[in-house]
Amino acid sequence: MAERSFAKEVLKLRAGDGELFKGEGILAITKALLQSGVSYVSGYQGSPISHLMDVLNDAREILGELGVHFETSGSEATAAAMLSASINYPLRGAVTWKSTVGTNVASDALSNVASSGVVGGAMVIVGEDYGEGSSIMQERTYAFAMKAQMWLLDPRPNLPSIVDMVEKGFQLSEASNTPLFYMMRIRGCHVTGEFVAKDNIPPRFSNRNPVVPHREPEKIILPPNVYAQEREKIAERLPAAIAFIKEHKLNEWFPGKHEQLGIIVQGGSYNTVIRALQRQGLADAFGQTDIPLYVMNVAYPLVPDEIVQFCVGKQQVLVLEEGQPEYIEQGIHTALRRADVQTRIYGKDIMPMAGEYTGQVTLEGLTRFLEAAALPSISLRLSREEVEALRSPLTDADHEALLSNVPPRPSGLCTGCPERPLFSAIKQVQRELGPFHISSDIGCHSFATLAPFNLGNTIMGYGLSLASSSGIRHSLPHKSISIMGDGGFWHNGLTSGVTSAVFNKHDGVLIIVDNGYAAATGGQDIPSLVEPNIIATTIDADAPSRDDAQSIDAACRGAGVKWVRTVSTYSVDTMKDTLEEALTTSTPGLKVIIAEGECMLNRQRRIKPLMKKSIDDGKRTVRARFMVDAETCTGDHACIRISGCPSLTIKPNPDPLRKDPVTYVDNSCVGCGVCGANAHAAILCPSFSRVDLLYNPSRMDRLLGRMRHSVIGWLQQRDQRKERNRSL
Amino acid sequence: MTAATQTINMVIAALGGEGGGVLTNWIIDVADREGWLCQSTSLAGVAQRTGATIYYLEMFPRSELPEGVQPVMSLFPAQGDIDVAIASEVAEAGRMVQRGFITPQRTTLIASDHRVYGITEKEHLSDGIVDALALQEVAGRYARDYIHYDMLTLANEHGTVISSVLLGALAGAGVLPFDKSSYEAVISSTGKAVASNMAAFEASYQRASNRGGEQGAERGVEQFVPAQASPAADAPFKLPAAASAEGERLLGRLQAFPVSCHEVVYHALAKLVDYQDYAYADQYLDEIEQLLALDRGDNDYELTCESARYLALWMCFEDIPRVAQFKTRASRMDKVRSEVRAEDDQLFHVTEFFRPRVEEMAAILPARLGRWVLGSSTCCRFLNLFTGGKQLRTNTLAVYLTLRTLAGLRRWRRASLGYQHEHALIGRWLQALKAAAARPGDSGQALALELAECGRLVKGYGDTRARTSGQMQAMLERIEQQPEQVDADAVAQWRSAALADDENRAFAELMAQTPPSSSAEQAA
Repeated sequence: MAERSFAKEVLKLRAGDGELFKGEGILAITKALLQSGVSYVSGYQGSPISHLMDVLNDAREILGELGVHFETSGSEATAAAMLSASINYPLRGAVTWKSTVGTNVASDALSNVASSGVVGGAMVIVGEDYGEGSSIMQERTYAFAMKAQMWLLDPRPNLPSIVDMVEKGFQLSEASNTPLFYMMRIRGCHVTGEFVAKDNIPPRFSNRNPVVPHREPEKIILPPNVYAQEREKIAERLPAAIAFIKEHKLNEWFPGKHEQLGIIVQGGSYNTVIRALQRQGLADAFGQTDIPLYVMNVAYPLVPDEIVQFCVGKQQVLVLEEGQPEYIEQGIHTALRRADVQTRIYGKDIMPMAGEYTGQVTLEGLTRFLEAAALPSISLRLSREEVEALRSPLTDADHEALLSNVPPRPSGLCTGCPERPLFSAIKQVQRELGPFHISSDIGCHSFATLAPFNLGNTIMGYGLSLASSSGIRHSLPHKSISIMGDGGFWHNGLTSGVTSAVFNKHDGVLIIVDNGYAAATGGQDIPSLVEPNIIATTIDADAPSRDDAQSIDAACRGAGVKWVRTVSTYSVDTMKDTLEEALTTSTPGLKVIIAEGECMLNRQRRIKPLMKKSIDDGKRTVRARFMVDAETCTGDHACIRISGCPSLTIKPNPDPLRKDPVTYVDNSCVGCGVCGANAHAAILCPSFSRVDLLYNPSRMDRLLGRMRHSVIGWLQQRDQRKERNRSL
Repeated sequence: MTAATQTINMVIAALGGEGGGVLTNWIIDVADREGWLCQSTSLAGVAQRTGATIYYLEMFPRSELPEGVQPVMSLFPAQGDIDVAIASEVAEAGRMVQRGFITPQRTTLIASDHRVYGITEKEHLSDGIVDALALQEVAGRYARDYIHYDMLTLANEHGTVISSVLLGALAGAGVLPFDKSSYEAVISSTGKAVASNMAAFEASYQRASNRGGEQGAERGVEQFVPAQASPAADAPFKLPAAASAEGERLLGRLQAFPVSCHEVVYHALAKLVDYQDYAYADQYLDEIEQLLALDRGDNDYELTCESARYLALWMCFEDIPRVAQFKTRASRMDKVRSEVRAEDDQLFHVTEFFRPRVEEMAAILPARLGRWVLGSSTCCRFLNLFTGGKQLRTNTLAVYLTLRTLAGLRRWRRASLGYQHEHALIGRWLQALKAAAARPGDSGQALALELAECGRLVKGYGDTRARTSGQMQAMLERIEQQPEQVDADAVAQWRSAALADDENRAFAELMAQTPPSSSAEQAA
């Protein structure tokens, strides 16, 4: 049950020959996989390819019709290892994950499959998370492709090219016996467009047509095979790849009238370059360019012949290569030097070494290049100064005004998030026992490192928080504290963290945030998912559990943890007590607290229709939400600092004497109860009230309501009269 | 429209969960109906979960496409290359300007005037709200055309979400070459909340297309004219007539004050009478009159005004009877009903979250008894049994009557420990104020005003109250010990340090930096 459903959109995947397919980049990729006759697909979710996993998941039925095998891998390593199916058999397969982090996790299996080589097309679709909107450290997949000898496709970001390159990619992989990366940039994943579809092709081998098992001992990665494999990479696979790329014209040439100049660009940046040329009056809206372009839809390997051929006769060529170091530029220099071509190459000398090549950056670079070239026949629409001025049209005074009045909007936990009360509790315990050094992890809970919680010192990788506390734990004044999500736990944390910690007699505290899904990546299922999406202590205690449930508690105990407590995050007081106990107990060994609470977004998605139906059916229904009494609120906002709930906001103080805004609960409140629990646990103020709205009240409700109304109303009116007599 | 040579570029800035994606899809569908090719990109997940995100669209007419050729569209919004920018909220409009997406020659900016506060604004210990008018003023100067009104209120009026209002504004702005009927067709084809979305769309369309008052007026640079913050604020305060003989008498005393102080003092008197009685209001006026006598009248008697404001708030400190008084008022349930948007006759229960500490309980006891209780560990332990968090349903008879009884305790408030405690500190604060104001020269008046402003610090319950009172006490001790060494700047620094964090860190550090005094540690 992912956050976004593609149930309707995946129906488009059945489109046949000649039909116009409209949709998003990731959907187009899925369609292209089916058109290529893949036999197996898998992956691990993460931005920007989370939705690709969601699409595949929602398309299970269609995949099944074709006989395509799909799995949700436990980690990127699991997915990468699946590619071994293509080593001995002509099975086409594709796996997907978020790069760079996913590639790092998968690297062992990837290196091995790259060494063995494949007979069936093997494709890794990596979501390259580089630039604005990225959620990770900035690195390129390019280096991995180079060192493991895997090819790297970076197609032009329009749907026809995207689809075409998937199909050609499988052929390239098979022609050169090499697995390859298919790189999707963030914006390309979500770009909308259209292409003409082809029929889906059922895989050659599947459960309907099994392979005949056979061994090829030389493909096993043991010495001396590995030496032969290394030689084969260079002697056979690379030349085969280059021959295929040339023959099938995977890289594209766009002629232009200014033949003395040229631009070499990765496919993914092509559209940005065209726009920059267009703004300088050197291209039209359809990509007709005055400057010749060589577009590398295959970013690795380089094709030296093509590069030389493009550059020969040109005086200046601009290389647009996003990210550092400048691998492509170096490769181009090598190719040109070996061929003794004297074309002046501009690259990172005039372009920023690091960072995304946005529209503005590309336009600036192009303008610098053209001004340096100083071709008399080219008159630029915008001078370099004018282009640079576009960065901000603001005067200094206006810049200052905006700087102080545009508030930052860091990511935060959603309204009703079950993790909020956990961090409220930690913040309160910290006040008593702190300050804390906390090893944080990947997941929604990493937002606790931001305002208003400001909890957490390091994030080392998915599921690595416990491991990352092992180096500091002997030097801390308190027991080490690690926080990990259920996603991270299953991905890596159980083995690298828990198992290792028990083995090493780690005395620290591990908090596992168990919200029932991989919430950060969009609510994908994980092993400890409890069907039907109900977490016992939070909501319905009697809810049926899955008979094949994989419990975090059992896993920890199985790994040797003796001290395990499961606490509902919404019980702030209990959570505080448990944390304090864990931090102060003399019991040796790892202390694991499973902080349980269902992801509220998913819960709301589930509960809302049920509640609406219940009300529409005339059943007695209670809906809770919170409010703040503006009269008792004094505008200190301690409640906000301890919670940060988006529905907890502020409004002007209704008291004409007070200047500080009062806290206010807006209508997005889902009534999770954290405000009340915090008001109690942190001894805040008497301003919070829970309002239970009754729909279709019973006869008893009405009777009691009337009775209370008449008695309380009578007293209130008496008091009101008295007050009026006593007024100013 | 002449032959298209370039795309129309549009950026949409929204906050997580505001329906920016819905709006984007609507616009794509409108373009599609009109025979335009539309490409959109977004950074999905960035809005996670409350952050700002942007959607980017480019469109091109299919009729202008040569056979078999597609336009090359950019995936990046670029500075100086945007025709239409839509922001769902004022600060996001400001962010669009900040990022260079709004250019005077080209960009139509459509933005709602309402505010969604950011965490830095919300978590402030006092008032951290940014200046929205300043943002609008800048936005108005950098946009080619700035279409703005409170679109959230419009959406609420029609019981729908802001996306339909934004779509109406886009249609009404007339910046896209699309017919109104296409927008309407897209809304109806969703099949969800069609009537309310359509009504909100229409209202917004009218609002946007009739801007400036002239229908069909030539589009151009519509400069932003700051609206008056609130009409009431600019209207002079009119002293209401007295409702009782005692009121008449008090208002008579009030007349002696400069007109600029009337509003504050009037509200103060009303609050004090409501809090305690007429005598309490007289007691208040006695103090304020003394201050007025020392006020040289700078800035329309700002010193008197601000002292009057914070003295009244402090004198009406929130003890248990006060909270009970608020919670049992007849008007309270109406406020609850409107705040939670309950139907007129809908039943609801209200549950209060109380957690009084021993200190608060002792505060309502007679002073000597209260002091004895706090001094006795046995008593404290006993009372501690009752300090657990309480969830009380105010609309049940038993709870209501209990609270009403507690509210009635205010009759004996003057004898309570809490009263004596607060008034002892108030007395010292007033003493310091007066001493400063009585100093010759400007510095004394400035110091007095700063001290008056410190009254804003003392607020809250429990730990907050203890911290803020402690800070006030520490400041007063300094002034009492070394009256000559404290000036307005020092107090201003203390005050901003007190508001820097809620753990007393910055304040304690600052106090420790400027010894000699033994009091800083006590305050911490």
